[in-house]
Amino acid sequence: MVAPLLVFILALALYPTVLTTIDAFMHIDALTPPNHFAGFGNFAAIFSNPEIRQSFENTGWYVVFGVGLTLVLGTTFGLLLQRRFRGRGIVLAIVILPWALPGVVEGVIWSWIYDPTFGVLNSVLKSLHLVSQYQLFIGTRQIESILLISLVQVWQITPLATLLVLASLQGIPGEIYEAARVDGAGWWQVIRRITLPLIRPGLAIAAVEALVLSLNIFDQVYVLNAGATTASSVMNMTYFVTFQGLNFGQGYALSLLATVVTVVLSLGALKLLYRKVTF
Amino acid sequence: MRRRIGVWARRAGIALVIAWSLFPVYWALNTSFMTNAEAQSTPTHFLPTRPIFTNYQAIFGAGPQSAEAAGGIGRSLVNIVVESGGATLLTLVIAILGAYAFARLRFRLKNLFFYTVLGTLTLPVYATLIPLYRIMSQVGLVNTYLGIILVYASGFMPLAMWIMYNIFLALPPSIEEAAVIDGASMLQRFYRIALPIAKPGIAATAIITFLLGWGQFIFPLVLSSTGSTQPLTVVLAALEGRHVVPYTIINAAAIVAIAIPAVLVFLLNRWIVEGIIAGSVK
Repeated sequence: MVAPLLVFILALALYPTVLTTIDAFMHIDALTPPNHFAGFGNFAAIFSNPEIRQSFENTGWYVVFGVGLTLVLGTTFGLLLQRRFRGRGIVLAIVILPWALPGVVEGVIWSWIYDPTFGVLNSVLKSLHLVSQYQLFIGTRQIESILLISLVQVWQITPLATLLVLASLQGIPGEIYEAARVDGAGWWQVIRRITLPLIRPGLAIAAVEALVLSLNIFDQVYVLNAGATTASSVMNMTYFVTFQGLNFGQGYALSLLATVVTVVLSLGALKLLYRKVTF
Repeated sequence: MRRRIGVWARRAGIALVIAWSLFPVYWALNTSFMTNAEAQSTPTHFLPTRPIFTNYQAIFGAGPQSAEAAGGIGRSLVNIVVESGGATLLTLVIAILGAYAFARLRFRLKNLFFYTVLGTLTLPVYATLIPLYRIMSQVGLVNTYLGIILVYASGFMPLAMWIMYNIFLALPPSIEEAAVIDGASMLQRFYRIALPIAKPGIAATAIITFLLGWGQFIFPLVLSSTGSTQPLTVVLAALEGRHVVPYTIINAAAIVAIAIPAVLVFLLNRWIVEGIIAGSVK
């Protein structure tokens, strides 16, 4: 019964991963054949390329913004939606919606919102007198571009964090809150001292999922950053080097590096953050 | 008094959550019913003065702007349905069989196999993207439905197996044991008893897998270079990147791309929540 599953996993997940690991040390360039062993040549080439180095830094920012904003918003949303109220079911459906939509389509929708000449963001900021004239938000200033692109991904993945927080909240027995209230704790103290520590397992999983997704950000950047290197992520650079530049060896090296970083960071973060909670 | 402030703060907060979740979709809808002139007016119009439908007609090849706008949207809609639907079917059949075996049966090397499959959940897209492209071009499956479906399914299987594994584990084994005492074979026990009780869980897994397929971008971008297999996501990104098609039409195409996931969310959100939670709890 498990044989078909194992065949798929071996042929289309593990075998390709082995190929990536081996070929990262090969010179495979459609423009300068033949292929040959290159040692760490691909890695040296990657690290001496300033655009690729910038993509490392950019991806770091995507992770910082992505994980930070997703956790803050997911926790806030979870706390707001925790209690039952009329229409809670439909509100939950609305909250899940962004998670279910394709990242590329979200990029397209938001690029119209961010549009430098006709975008609604510009229109609103101008009518509030926060900007004196319409702005080009993405493409020139690095951190601002990354933050705005990251926000589109945060919009997509916040529902995951919200659901995980809600699931953890449901496990907290009501007596704990009552006891705290009897002891005279204010709402902020209750959140800080009781709720947040008790939903830690859910938050840890949400953090790891946000970490993996933001380390791998591609779709939103592909649409919103349109070829510029200002806000390119490692995944965008990998795609560009491999499928536009046809330098497969360097693409493999970037992929291997990113795979190792993703696996190590996500397992490390899970180990560091996850604590079983017992009541 | 403090209590009432609390209630109103919570209501305002929930209203903000709704606005945050819906605004971009509302904005795309709003633009998709506008003429190009109205979409470009400043300050922005928050509702179309007179809703028009020509943007939707254009993407399906009718009306004056259709030629470049259509750009294969109709075909790409067929492609995305075939590819995400096909991948969902294949993933479900294989993942359910595997999950049931891992949850209920005893066999040699079970733990090794289980953790091998589960371990691939942590593999990012990077690990397999380039080699899968090269393998698929070597076996001639680039620009075919089969190639895309195989790649999707192999990527979705670990998660689908994990969700179904948790669902099978949560079912009481006593009913199945009773059937075994009555002389049911292993296959009968799986097919006649476990599968029917696990139906809600299977539905949850199916919806999540389908949505994952619908959202794919980088794999089909690499694995399909022609309109014959490019899904809507790839065609929409290309349409947007060319900067010749008006934003009103682009937004109409975006609405078409999100219509099916949105309907699934509003009709079946309970199962989606169940699937997400079953797939996350470790």
